[in-house]
Amino acid sequence: MASEPATTVELELEVEQRLVEEAQQGNLDAMRPILERYAAPLYGTVILPRLGDAASAEEVLRDTLATAVEKIRRFTWQGKTIYPWLRQIAINKVYDVHRQSKRSRRLADAMVHEVAVESDPASHADAQLIADQERRAHRDRIDETMQQLQERYRSAIELRLIQELSREDCARRLGVTIGTFDVLLFRAVRAFRKHFGERAELPATGDT
Amino acid sequence: MATQDDDNVARIPDPDVEPSPAELAHARRFAELVDKTLSGRTPPAMSADDRALLEVATVIRATHGAVELAASKQRAAVEDALRQAIGASPAGGGSVTPIARAHTRMRRAPWIVAGTTTLVAAAAIAMLWLRTSGGAGRGNPVARRAVPEEWTSRPADSLVGPIARDHAGDAGARIDAIFADRLDGFRTRRLARKGKP
Repeated sequence: MASEPATTVELELEVEQRLVEEAQQGNLDAMRPILERYAAPLYGTVILPRLGDAASAEEVLRDTLATAVEKIRRFTWQGKTIYPWLRQIAINKVYDVHRQSKRSRRLADAMVHEVAVESDPASHADAQLIADQERRAHRDRIDETMQQLQERYRSAIELRLIQELSREDCARRLGVTIGTFDVLLFRAVRAFRKHFGERAELPATGDT
Repeated sequence: MATQDDDNVARIPDPDVEPSPAELAHARRFAELVDKTLSGRTPPAMSADDRALLEVATVIRATHGAVELAASKQRAAVEDALRQAIGASPAGGGSVTPIARAHTRMRRAPWIVAGTTTLVAAAAIAMLWLRTSGGAGRGNPVARRAVPEEWTSRPADSLVGPIARDHAGDAGARIDAIFADRLDGFRTRRLARKGKP
């Protein structure tokens, strides 16, 4: 077969490989484009959904990137993007945070459970694909838990946390006072948390 | 402390159940926390229960792509990470040192410290040797301020002289002589300072 033009992904991989090799030879600045490219997906799809706290997530992102730069010489290029390697570092950091903080034990259990069932994305070469897949998997879990909530609780979460409508608008949509909406959202989040924690105690099979 | 785990196992009331005043107050507080979080002003201090619930809310929002890392924070994270990796201050400016140069510096650091320490020690030994050998013949000159003798502490032998046996009981006269001399010196000194003590 005649040689086909390289796809965008292949070109990006070539550039990425060159940058990684430069970094491994000692040029630290070569890591900058890589970190800039993957910081957002690491934060948005790997770290924050597992931590739930923006400040901690930013801290973990910083640690993740620093560790990546520090250990870049240990990375072996296998024709795939460096993203799974970065992602694994991030997951380990998140796991450390959950282990160190005694708060939210059940939620932490849920997150640790996810770490165990999601940590093999190496079959995909494209970082965007991995991030999209991970985002979809998270969303499926959230949606699955949402389905277990009562209709009004589900609506409260959707309106306020997903659509980000104001409390006044949310209350108007649901035909209640703002005070009643506050109670609905409060109970809805507690109920979500309860079901999410229970979900984590289910066996891993069929969970992915 | 009531934990979120207690909260988890507690039964969640149905939507139509009237809230207690305590639940109403807690719900209002949580709503305000969500308000602040949505506008990017999450308060650093809050109860463990509120924090746990807020984490759940953030997880839901993050999963639906509602939470993104600001470009400025992303840049800062990258720069901090690059600097942190070579052990420099995150707040420092300027360009980043390549790993190789940083490693070279780190390799040389122990030798630089050892060399400097040796030089300082050699200089100290040389100074000590020069002082002891040069000062041995001359004795040990003591710096002394040029002050009148009557300002200094001094023996009274020159005033009293040898005490003959038959004048041994005149201690009062000797003390008076010494007192007069010292008083004289005191006046001189006082006048030299224009009356100031």
